[in-house]
Amino acid sequence: MFMTKFRKMGLSVIAAAALLAGGAQLASADGEVIMQDPGGSYGDALRSVMYDSFEDETGIDVITVQEARSGPRIKAQVDAGKTEWDLTFIFDQEVGLLGDCCLADIDYDKLSDSAKETLATMPDNLKRPKGVALQVIGVGLVYNTDVYKDGNVPQSWADFWDVEKFPGERCLPAWPRFTMEAALMADGVAKEDLYPLDMDRALAKLEEIKPHVTKWWTTSAQPPQLLLDGEADMCMAYTGSTSLLALEGAPIEVEWNQGFVYYDFFSIPKDAPNYDNALKLLSWRLDADLAAELTSAYPVALPSPLVFEKADPEISKYWANNPDNVAKAIEWSPEFWGAQAAAGNMTNEEYGQEQLNSLLAK
Amino acid sequence: MTQTDAHDGNPGVTPSRSLSERLKDPALLLIPAFAFLGFMYLLPLTDLMQTSVEGDPWWADLQRVLSVPLYFDSLVRTMNIALTVALLCALIGYPAALLIQRTKGITQVLVAMAIILPYFIAILIRTYAWMVLLGRNGPINKFAVWIGAFDEPVGLLFNRGSVLLGMTAVLLPIMVLSIYSSLSRLDPALVRAAMANGAGPLAAFWRVLLPLTLPGVGAGFLLVFVQALGFFITPSLLGGPGDMMFAMHITQQADSITGEGFLQALAVVLLVLTLVVVAIAGRFLGFEFIWGGERKAPMPKAQQNVDRPRPARGGTKAALADRVGWPLLRGLGALNARWGEWTVRVLAICVIATLVLPIVVVMIISFSKASYLTFPPTEYSLRWYEKFFSDRNWMSAFWNSLFIAIMSAGISVTLGATAAMGIVRSSIRGKSTLMLLLVSPIIVPPVVLGLSLYSLFLKFDMVGTYWGLAAAHSIGGIPIVVVIVAAALQGVDRRLEQGAAVHGASPLTVFRKVTLPAIAPGLGAAVFFAFLHSFDELVLTLFLSSPRMKTLPLMLWGDINYQLNPVLAVVSTLEVLLVVGGIILARPVFARARAGT
Repeated sequence: MFMTKFRKMGLSVIAAAALLAGGAQLASADGEVIMQDPGGSYGDALRSVMYDSFEDETGIDVITVQEARSGPRIKAQVDAGKTEWDLTFIFDQEVGLLGDCCLADIDYDKLSDSAKETLATMPDNLKRPKGVALQVIGVGLVYNTDVYKDGNVPQSWADFWDVEKFPGERCLPAWPRFTMEAALMADGVAKEDLYPLDMDRALAKLEEIKPHVTKWWTTSAQPPQLLLDGEADMCMAYTGSTSLLALEGAPIEVEWNQGFVYYDFFSIPKDAPNYDNALKLLSWRLDADLAAELTSAYPVALPSPLVFEKADPEISKYWANNPDNVAKAIEWSPEFWGAQAAAGNMTNEEYGQEQLNSLLAK
Repeated sequence: MTQTDAHDGNPGVTPSRSLSERLKDPALLLIPAFAFLGFMYLLPLTDLMQTSVEGDPWWADLQRVLSVPLYFDSLVRTMNIALTVALLCALIGYPAALLIQRTKGITQVLVAMAIILPYFIAILIRTYAWMVLLGRNGPINKFAVWIGAFDEPVGLLFNRGSVLLGMTAVLLPIMVLSIYSSLSRLDPALVRAAMANGAGPLAAFWRVLLPLTLPGVGAGFLLVFVQALGFFITPSLLGGPGDMMFAMHITQQADSITGEGFLQALAVVLLVLTLVVVAIAGRFLGFEFIWGGERKAPMPKAQQNVDRPRPARGGTKAALADRVGWPLLRGLGALNARWGEWTVRVLAICVIATLVLPIVVVMIISFSKASYLTFPPTEYSLRWYEKFFSDRNWMSAFWNSLFIAIMSAGISVTLGATAAMGIVRSSIRGKSTLMLLLVSPIIVPPVVLGLSLYSLFLKFDMVGTYWGLAAAHSIGGIPIVVVIVAAALQGVDRRLEQGAAVHGASPLTVFRKVTLPAIAPGLGAAVFFAFLHSFDELVLTLFLSSPRMKTLPLMLWGDINYQLNPVLAVVSTLEVLLVVGGIILARPVFARARAGT
């Protein structure tokens, strides 16, 4: 009795496996592009605005992989000669760090005409041989408007640190980037004089706020959740996801003063399996009309004035590259964080992370 | 039956030799499993260790791990947390195990289910349930405010307490199972005899029950401790910055480009720490704790362990314990016997509530209408069920998980069951060492294993393949199968096999007609557990999946990190149903298994 059951089961396992082997081959047939994906509501927006239309138009399947940070895995894949991804987004400093070893040159000539049109309006530094800046990311001071209202709202990092005037729980990212700059500005350093950072001074200031920080977050979904749950009243957070909530009517507001603006660069790893398809998808995403439409679903923008003109002004007021916001924000320095630390065999970012971790663990 | 068989696995016994000769050498059955583990498990770990010493000088990276206070402190903190969790589990797990043993019939089934069921639900899901329970808008805060204990909701999350609570709840079932297996092997007449001779219930507990079940407690303690050392999901979701555990440093470091070498060194340190703990424990307890305490599978050596402490009872420690404990017990013994019973009951019910409540909360949240997780939900709907069943990503993840789990269960059972035959039926030397090697994947922190496998997978083009992931999951599935099947094999009356052989049955026929039917319930259980192990696996998958290949736990992890919504709760509800359904379907099999031992 059990024997027959067991045999049947064995058979079905084999059958399933055969089916899968066949299925896997079908999936890996030509006509796909593997794209790193930020996930969450941004991922949903990309799917509905960008990828579905791209698939309909070109017949190329867009396969997304959720990954917050791809740099190290790109390196591991390329080193092993097994590149899996076709299009990834990486930090500004990583374009330099990974460029020689792991990234392919982007063949700008092969991009579509509409993409070239958009690119023509972008500064040269944002369209490098190994990477093109496709999303402007903002990090700012975000607060609960039910807690801070009637003019008594935090407007700077000094206010963020002022727990007497603005009592309440805080949340900050568990990274040295942004938090150290904010700490120094709260300590009175002018935004022009930030770099190179005085890490010791920043750490001392961070230690001051530490008792009031309810959570040092690590993923972009956490600060909005913390704010909505009432776990925190004031956070340093990505402006994209928090401003989407503000647009939906949540009691949340984004303060751009002393915020940070930086770019995610889109790069094609060396030996990407579908290089040409990656270029096609890149062209698609650089189309100004689509890029503007995308921001209506999720307010993270493409750094081109062309896209800005085409977008809904109600939404573009939340963009990190809205001139009003840029004027208030500081120019964040990827060069500093990517540079070698004085301590030796690591980058400033790794050194800062170690220092911050030590402080937080105390 | 089990006991006699267990002891005469001795190679010198003549009948067993003649049988093993006929079967050719059963030790050959060990080859497939060892070939598999050698390639998928030992090779990558060796590779990892090599990379960790490729710095200049070779110890540079290891030295950095141990000399930077951040990492050293974290190592101490990790041990501290693991130790506390193991202690808490032992303290509250004991009454729960007693309650399972003392109840009867349907109550016993329900109590056992309540405790064991959570074990098969993904750690990720149970951890998230605790985030909801402890949150400012969570039921605990709301209740406390309602009864007036707090004026306003307080922050219960992101501190050491919530980490300890979450980890204890996650690991408790292991402890309960381990103690229960010890309790169930105990002759109940011993306690009755003690009572009949005038010992109060407490004295009977202190002098009879506790000493005799101490090996079970010890085994559970060590299993919990060792697993807690490698934890990273629970502390990263429930902890504050002061609760960074060592595995979290590894995942954090995996995000940096220049970490090559240092990253591996971190992993090696965690691995070595774990192995050292196991080695020390093994010297005192015997290495059998790794599998003896696992999933209530009585093993030969574990049986000896139960006997072993008795002669040692005269030791100074025992004397001290008696001198302190005994007068205390005398005093307490004056209390009514009912009192003890009620203590067990109340404590155990608290434990069960701790284990079951989060699951119930998650199930209720799955019917919520809001896009963020709050409890109790303000409005109810089936919105998230619709989302799950209509979303092609979720559905493909579900099918991926299902196929991988079926394949992985297939691999695990094929390799694991043959290896178990090889171990139990052969007269090969060094059985303990071989067994230790077979089950050792249980104790290696998954983060370390995942990291080491990633380079192997890249080299052999296995990243994101069904077979690759199924094979990776089998590394942890094989030990489960080996333990269960070896136990089942020991329950087989070898005289039946010998009888069949004497009457001319070929070895294969003996296996088919005698052995297989006898171990069928064990095999069934092994398939089920290996399936669930793979179905729930997250950490290895995090390292080894590809864009084309998302599994259900991976999608859940993505949602927790990028977008918190009740789909998470829908998936966990469905998983609970799967586990309950599986257990109900398998009940006849389990019943036979119980009757057989």
